[in-house]
Amino acid sequence: MRNALFVMAFIASPVAAQDHPDLSGFWAPDFGPVERPQDLMDKLPDGVGMVEDTGVAEFPRGEFGELVLTPEAAAHAENWHAENDMTIARVCLPPSIVYASQGPFPWEVHQTEDLIVFKYEYFDQTRLIFMDGREHPGEDYPHTKMGFSTGHWDGDELVVDTTHIAASTITNNGLDHTDDIVMQERYRLVDDGTRLVSTQWFSDPAVIENDGARFISWSKREGEHIYPYECDPSFALEYQSVGSE
Amino acid sequence: MRAVLISAMLLVAIPGSLAAHHSFAVFFDETQTVAIEGEVTAFRFTNPHATIALDVVGSDGNIEKWRVETTAPVVLRRRGWSRTSLHAGDLVKIDGWPSRDGKPYLRLRSATTMDGTPIGQAFTIGDD
Repeated sequence: MRNALFVMAFIASPVAAQDHPDLSGFWAPDFGPVERPQDLMDKLPDGVGMVEDTGVAEFPRGEFGELVLTPEAAAHAENWHAENDMTIARVCLPPSIVYASQGPFPWEVHQTEDLIVFKYEYFDQTRLIFMDGREHPGEDYPHTKMGFSTGHWDGDELVVDTTHIAASTITNNGLDHTDDIVMQERYRLVDDGTRLVSTQWFSDPAVIENDGARFISWSKREGEHIYPYECDPSFALEYQSVGSE
Repeated sequence: MRAVLISAMLLVAIPGSLAAHHSFAVFFDETQTVAIEGEVTAFRFTNPHATIALDVVGSDGNIEKWRVETTAPVVLRRRGWSRTSLHAGDLVKIDGWPSRDGKPYLRLRSATTMDGTPIGQAFTIGDD
């Protein structure tokens, strides 16, 4: 009986896989304004602060969109000096997935039934999305810039929950999140699968009094692949030499 | 006392600098552009940003040492640039967004040879 069930499950799994959208491919960020599916936006929790810095847009000092900073986070951002990061030791530190996913770089999706791999060109980062129903690990599990992600399908949307994200930047201008940040993303194919859109929702009460969210959009490019990034820290020396020669 | 402890814990919880990709908006003034021309002395084509070093003759006749930062070479490659796009000794015209601190440092918008032939494609504000 057990063998029969195993065989049935084996036969059934390819069919089940076809029930889900296939997000596989090379995705390049959309730089212009794009339509936001209202029903997708409506799934964000009430009261989130939108962060409109996706694609090529970036916030200058002191601008954080609709995020409400805690007094401690605001003080930290006020005292932050971007120049301090332009050193050999720091210039190639990658951002966490909270900031990295919205940038102007392409990425790839490699999808199976039990595991989805997001491979980012930005800083050569790779992310595993476990689709096999496992639980998130305990507090002692290592925190990394990509964090620990599990996913599930909600209709035609891939929902990804991420914890264990190592402290890093939220907006690349002095607002940093802690190790305790949690993030949920929803991915949906639109325009006959030629575009991929997502919402990114995150919560970190130690630094933001409201939860934050972004909307991000990419277009599919057939036949392309991401390039190695291989960050070269000698860039910091170039910057430091300016004005001293 | 409890409030003091909580404040201290929060200060500890918000660490120093934790990611170092530098922001266009923080470093460069997107409301202005500066045009320079000069002789390339070095071209470095690695991520996170390529750099062009060039000698520019200032208004007083002295040589000014400029650096031009580009977008990431992974992006440059898709816009017609390569590691051999420039060589030491090339004469180029460059325009870009100036550094906010007033140093001789630009973020590349476009580059051409002296006869106006484009080198790669031009960029927009914030391309990484």
